[in-house]
Amino acid sequence: MNAMGFAWRSLVRQPARASLGVLGVAAVGALLFDMLLLSQGLVISMRGLLERTGFDLRVTATDALPGQGPLIPNAIERSQAIAHLPSVRSAIALRFANAVVLAGGPRGVYTTFQGVAGTGAVHPWTILRGRDFTSGRPEIVINENTAARTQLAPGSRVMLRGSCTDQAQALPPVPFIVSGIAQFPFDSPNGTTIATSLPMLATACGGNESNEADVIMVASQEGAGASAAVSDVARLLPDLHVLSNAEAVNRFERGGFTYFRQISTVLTAVTLSFAVLLITVLLTVSVNQRLGEIAALRALGFSRGRVVADVFCESVLIVGGGGLLSLPAGALLAIGLDRILKRIPGIPADVHFFVFEPSTLQIHLLLLSATAIVAALYPIRIVTRLPIAATLRDEVVG
Amino acid sequence: MSTTNGHVIEARNISRVFPMSAGPVTAVADVSLEIRPGDHIAIRGPSGCGKSTLLHMLGCVEPPTAGTLLFRGDDVTKLSDRQRSLLRLRQIGFVFQRFFLLPMLTAAENVELPQSEANVPKAERRQRTQELLEYVGLAARAAHRPSELSGGEMQRVAIARALANNPGLLLADEPTGELDRATGEQIASLLDRVNADGTALVIVTHDPALAERSTRILSMRDGRIESELTSA
Amino acid sequence: MGKVWVRCLLALIGAALIASATLHAADTLPSVLISRQLSEGEHLSVGDVIRLSASEDGSNVRQFRVAGVYEPTPDPARLGAVIREVQLHLPDLLGLTREPSVPSGSEYVETINVALVDPNDAEAFSRDVRARMPGIDAQPASGAAESTGPFIVLRRFHLAIAIVTVVASTVFLLALTIMLVDERRAAVGVLRLIGLPIRRILLQLFLEGVLIAVVGSMFGLALSLVSEGIINQFFQWRYDTALVFVRVTPQVAAVCVAIAIPLGVSATVVASWALLRRNGLRLARR
Repeated sequence: MNAMGFAWRSLVRQPARASLGVLGVAAVGALLFDMLLLSQGLVISMRGLLERTGFDLRVTATDALPGQGPLIPNAIERSQAIAHLPSVRSAIALRFANAVVLAGGPRGVYTTFQGVAGTGAVHPWTILRGRDFTSGRPEIVINENTAARTQLAPGSRVMLRGSCTDQAQALPPVPFIVSGIAQFPFDSPNGTTIATSLPMLATACGGNESNEADVIMVASQEGAGASAAVSDVARLLPDLHVLSNAEAVNRFERGGFTYFRQISTVLTAVTLSFAVLLITVLLTVSVNQRLGEIAALRALGFSRGRVVADVFCESVLIVGGGGLLSLPAGALLAIGLDRILKRIPGIPADVHFFVFEPSTLQIHLLLLSATAIVAALYPIRIVTRLPIAATLRDEVVG
Repeated sequence: MSTTNGHVIEARNISRVFPMSAGPVTAVADVSLEIRPGDHIAIRGPSGCGKSTLLHMLGCVEPPTAGTLLFRGDDVTKLSDRQRSLLRLRQIGFVFQRFFLLPMLTAAENVELPQSEANVPKAERRQRTQELLEYVGLAARAAHRPSELSGGEMQRVAIARALANNPGLLLADEPTGELDRATGEQIASLLDRVNADGTALVIVTHDPALAERSTRILSMRDGRIESELTSA
Repeated sequence: MGKVWVRCLLALIGAALIASATLHAADTLPSVLISRQLSEGEHLSVGDVIRLSASEDGSNVRQFRVAGVYEPTPDPARLGAVIREVQLHLPDLLGLTREPSVPSGSEYVETINVALVDPNDAEAFSRDVRARMPGIDAQPASGAAESTGPFIVLRRFHLAIAIVTVVASTVFLLALTIMLVDERRAAVGVLRLIGLPIRRILLQLFLEGVLIAVVGSMFGLALSLVSEGIINQFFQWRYDTALVFVRVTPQVAAVCVAIAIPLGVSATVVASWALLRRNGLRLARR
């Protein structure tokens, strides 16, 4: 009987204890798995979201995030200049504002209002029904939430009142036609968003500042890459701030996202300590209860290495069994925790806190393996240093 | 492995001293002893005289702190722990007072265990296990766990286990200590048979009746062999 | 030689006059407070004169004197950010940020903080302000944190983690108590054989369970207090903030003890009951 078979029989001998050990490891393993998912989940998700918009550079007036800093003056001309760079495929200027869509109730529906201008057919949203707006015409696209709350559909006429500054305003409502229903990548689950051309947005906001934008979004040429485009844009417009997707993600990582990484690190350390403690105690008690048997096996000729292998295999079985169970348990737990965290206001619907990557599984397995090894160290020490004769004597006396 | 004078074990002035907090304790002092193939030796003496310690030294479980111990001509004190383990596995069998059968294994699996550790092929060890259980009269209980066996049956399985790798020397420490007289008698008879079949046998015992079945009776006191009686 | 000395003396007096004038000028400058992070980042200290502008082209620059360095109020919403702040007197701020075309006195502020004589009047005061000043929202500050979205979500998140941890701990506890009770099976078996009723043995084991649970809970509390300090120190260092991340309040401690002790006792009773159901002879036999 090899060491693994022997270890299995030893565990099965105490089914309640072994089952609880496996369940304990499964529970902490699930938490460990989730913390590994959380440690990079938000960053991975945000990176994916940024890449799915089709743009890999963001140009702003300062190093503030788009929408949080001053506007870029002469945005339309600048976006056209950027679009002509050899390393750039397309560039659009984007302005963020707010609006009240006068439909769906006496007070209307408060929405985010985006205005876009620039070359290139690609807009940072996906048309679901109808069509995209035509530049120069008073047309808007709206998201599903807006459509549901206002009962608007492609072809509907609507009045909306824009608000483009922080100050209270009382601008006259402006008529628009809904050209299509779109999905905006950065929408929160209950968010309402509408979009039109930048000049139309400026019209809705009183007709001023028609050539200013919060951000110019740039898509680099496939062969050139983001780095080349960053250099070219920075050279062309040295007074502006250029951020690639990777740099944007780095900033998120260093900012608010870092809390989740820190907490995942703390909880990872706690769960690992817990697992090591649990398995160490289980194995140590098991070994201490079998000292006579172990001494007898040693007397019969079992080598030190063999009895060590038996103990180690027990650890592997408990941690391995628990580890296997921890994966589906962790997946379910992650779904639940993700649902909780996605309720943080302002989190886009397409962003997830827990994202699976193959490397997460590898790290999980590595950590569990280390747990099995570390947990077995103390009981292994007991069996390697076991005085055979003295133990046999003690067993008789006891 | 070469033999010296054909002896299984040759112990020359072996001692075992245990360092204790109150001062060193000499459990075995200056014992010289030879065990030949087929010997049937009983070691008796009062409690604490060093019988079990001497047995453990002879079985290469505990090395002597002084003296020379040769097993088939090889100096045991110069062997590594791994080498001593191999020696015990293949050439020495142990029977304990408390049986020490593994409770999660059946009788057959307990007997197979040392063979498996000695890398005996599966078919061969199954065959040998069957033979050994028949030898000790427990072929019908092969699939039973120790908890389902009586004390005498457990000791018989332990003897079968000790013989699993066909050792030249069988060491038994109070083999009938936990058994009633009748069962002890059965075990004694079995051990006699083992010895008659060629295995050297050394028994530590309090039981005079068991000791008198041996051809050599060593009496120990205070860690020394006081006397040796030889019967024809 | 004498003329050289006179020239030197005149130069010294001139320098002293200039220095004095500069100091006097600095003293007349409006004062500001700067955040510790800004002070450390820009190597500024009390008494330094700084120039501030509200526009990115650096126009409309004004000079201020650093009157002090302050520690920003820890803001969880700005975790990880380096708080580079300047606190000005409101007229100075309005003067700095007002558009030249906008007449003085027509500016607005976002928030007015009010400290009441009796903080318990906060709710009533808020209602009063809202009633008397339409378009103005007044909220008691103590309720703000409780109602802010991210913190509600984070509280739920931490609660979910805590529940999983309690489940894992319970499993661990049950495993330990089973081992603990199992170690004494022979003694329990003998007690059964000599005639002690199950209830009597169970009571003894129950009391042991209570003792272990109480001692364990106290130890756990002590451990949590130590951890609280370590975690707070680590995160405060990591984020350069005075925010408190972990706080073991009396309520939290009470809830933990209220969960831990019954769990510990229950685990002992469950493990013991499973053992006591077996035959005494089987228990006593090794």
